[in-house]
Amino acid sequence: MKLDLRDVTKVFGTTRALDELSLQIPEARVLVLIGPSGGGKSTLLRVLGGLEVPDQGSVTLNEHRLNADPESLQAYRRRNGFVFQQFNLFPHLNARRNITLPLEKVHGHSPEAARALADQSLTRFGLLDHATKLPSQLSGGQQQRVGIARAIAFSPEVLFLDEPTSALDPEMTAEVLELIQELAEAGQDIILSTHEMGFARAVADQVAFVASGQIAESNPPQALFNAPVSPVCQRFLSRVMRY
Amino acid sequence: MTRRQVIANAVVAVILVAAFAVFCTLVLNSLGRPVDWSKAWAYRESLWRGWTVTLGISLAALLGSIVFGLAFLLGQRSRLPVVRWTCRGFLEFVRDTPLLVHLLFGYFVIFAPLLSRPLAGIGWDDKVLIGIVLLSMFAGAYLGEILRGGVDSIPATQWDAARAVGFSPFQVYRYVIFPQALRRVLPAIAGLFVSLIKDSSLLNVIGVSEYFYNTKNFISRSYAGLEGYLPLTLGYLILTLPVAWLAHWLERRFRDET
Repeated sequence: MKLDLRDVTKVFGTTRALDELSLQIPEARVLVLIGPSGGGKSTLLRVLGGLEVPDQGSVTLNEHRLNADPESLQAYRRRNGFVFQQFNLFPHLNARRNITLPLEKVHGHSPEAARALADQSLTRFGLLDHATKLPSQLSGGQQQRVGIARAIAFSPEVLFLDEPTSALDPEMTAEVLELIQELAEAGQDIILSTHEMGFARAVADQVAFVASGQIAESNPPQALFNAPVSPVCQRFLSRVMRY
Repeated sequence: MTRRQVIANAVVAVILVAAFAVFCTLVLNSLGRPVDWSKAWAYRESLWRGWTVTLGISLAALLGSIVFGLAFLLGQRSRLPVVRWTCRGFLEFVRDTPLLVHLLFGYFVIFAPLLSRPLAGIGWDDKVLIGIVLLSMFAGAYLGEILRGGVDSIPATQWDAARAVGFSPFQVYRYVIFPQALRRVLPAIAGLFVSLIKDSSLLNVIGVSEYFYNTKNFISRSYAGLEGYLPLTLGYLILTLPVAWLAHWLERRFRDET
């Protein structure tokens, strides 16, 4: 995928969540956003995912230039998948229905075709036995895997994941990270934010360090983790790598 | 229950039945004249007609209140501040003034002068129609508030998730927000619908010949007492109990689901 952000600004009240952020990535398959909490990672992902409209600046992902009108934003969201930190499954629908409902109502699949697609991804993620359970009956890791299954069931152009393992214990974190790595190896374009530095290094082919609403540094993982250039990134990495 | 509780329960039950029996006997003795069911039987057609009118008004106002309630909900969530303020003001006015005033004022001052002639011209009963509209508006104002509370209680993350999978604004409401919000507000809605059925009796003040109106006529013409009020009470219970039961059943079903 190709990404081009220019002077993107997003203000919430008096907070400049994104402050004239610019980032050009000519080619990457997995882009990982790292950085301190409150630095703007989530806002940036939400802008990229079409859930938030920036106040200023331009965002171009592949050939699509994002604009603010609701219809084209909706069309944009239909092409891409989004996975949330808190899973955000629909609590009144069972695991399979969480996947088939958008397939039927958004992508126009017949109920049979939607079910086949859903069962295919549930099987792939080892969740078929849980297909008829409600989200509240699933563990956090299982819920997040259903969330990912829902987001990739219609083969999205780009898959966005906003701190997908921050609400999980270490064991569940591992099961979800393995799944994401598998998707990346299968060729899925991914943009994700995470606090798992080891995972970022292993899976990314481009890492961007986001702090104070700006990109402090953007490099391939080897360069960024071994020889960070910017002082904020150096400080952040030396602190998080200490333990 | 323990053995002691079983015994205590039985004792209290006997006491309650006895107390109720004594109370009924006292009341019946004080009536001073025998209960004569043939009076009620003589008016059966009028009472039955009144009951069916009450049933019809209740059903129509129930549907009408859903239309008004949804309109008030959407109005309160409008992006235009002036629409929101108008809706809020109107809701506040309707909820904070008595239904009796709406009916008298709405019928005699506002709608009757405007609509009675044209409605009569096409052969419609203006009182019933206007009564239904006023009742729908009153219940709709409460329903709008209940629905707004339900929709507001759905966390922002659900809106995000629904938009993220690509739902249109209508689909977001239809498939994600409403199903969850309705589960939460169902008991309140059931209570409102029971009130609506009971409040339909107030339509007697504008002369709609519904169940209460016809019973009142029967009582004043035949000097009946118990013979009128007992069927009146039972007639309303037949309408309200199924609504209450249905609500309890749905509530239990949704609770098991989540």
